[in-house]
Amino acid sequence: MKELAQLLNGMREAGVISDYALFGAAAQMRYTEPVATLDADVLVKVPGSGRLDELGPIYQFCATKGYHPEGEAIRVGAWPVQFVPVFSPLTREALEQAETADFEGVPFRVVRAAYLAVIALSVGRAKDFTRILALLESGGVTRQEVASLAARHGLADAWKRFERRFLNE
Amino acid sequence: MNDIQEMLKRQAAWQRSRQSLTWPEKIRMAEMVRESVKQLRASSGPRGKQETSAQRIFRDQAD
Repeated sequence: MKELAQLLNGMREAGVISDYALFGAAAQMRYTEPVATLDADVLVKVPGSGRLDELGPIYQFCATKGYHPEGEAIRVGAWPVQFVPVFSPLTREALEQAETADFEGVPFRVVRAAYLAVIALSVGRAKDFTRILALLESGGVTRQEVASLAARHGLADAWKRFERRFLNE
Repeated sequence: MNDIQEMLKRQAAWQRSRQSLTWPEKIRMAEMVRESVKQLRASSGPRGKQETSAQRIFRDQAD
């Protein structure tokens, strides 16, 4: 993971991406106990985005550093890494509001807990719901924070359904 | 019943202790678990042995 942080910082310094932030299970583990995950998910903002091969420059940069595709991911050390361009106002804001964590001495941009929860809410699979519950239980985020952020991004109804199903006795 | 309650208490304490590990430590644990998940997946193909509930839980939770 440290190797991934170094790669992403280098990618940003080279101007290949404007910004990045780790999200998904690997980011969630900052707050919760360890969870099983097969890959690392990284939100990226690419300068001049909108082109068809939006991820092309990222793949090229990785290739010059000796990192090559493996299925839909790029293998970086122990981790297959999925690069996901920001695709909604929610993910754009999650990237802008990401915080810089320290991973063994290397700065590593990571999506904050509230955004991790609301992105999971927007995806809505069973394992995403488990993720929200784990984040709430860890105290990394409160129900009020999730409710407020969900409402700002048109997910108030989804949050109410989640609360009814999992949180209200 | 008391034995079960004690066991659940110990399990909760163990889970809390894992939550308080540093992020890099948790990532390293996830890396170790990931290798196990991959092996479980490889051994639970259509012609493989019948999947156990533990294998199914790991498979469903991992992404």
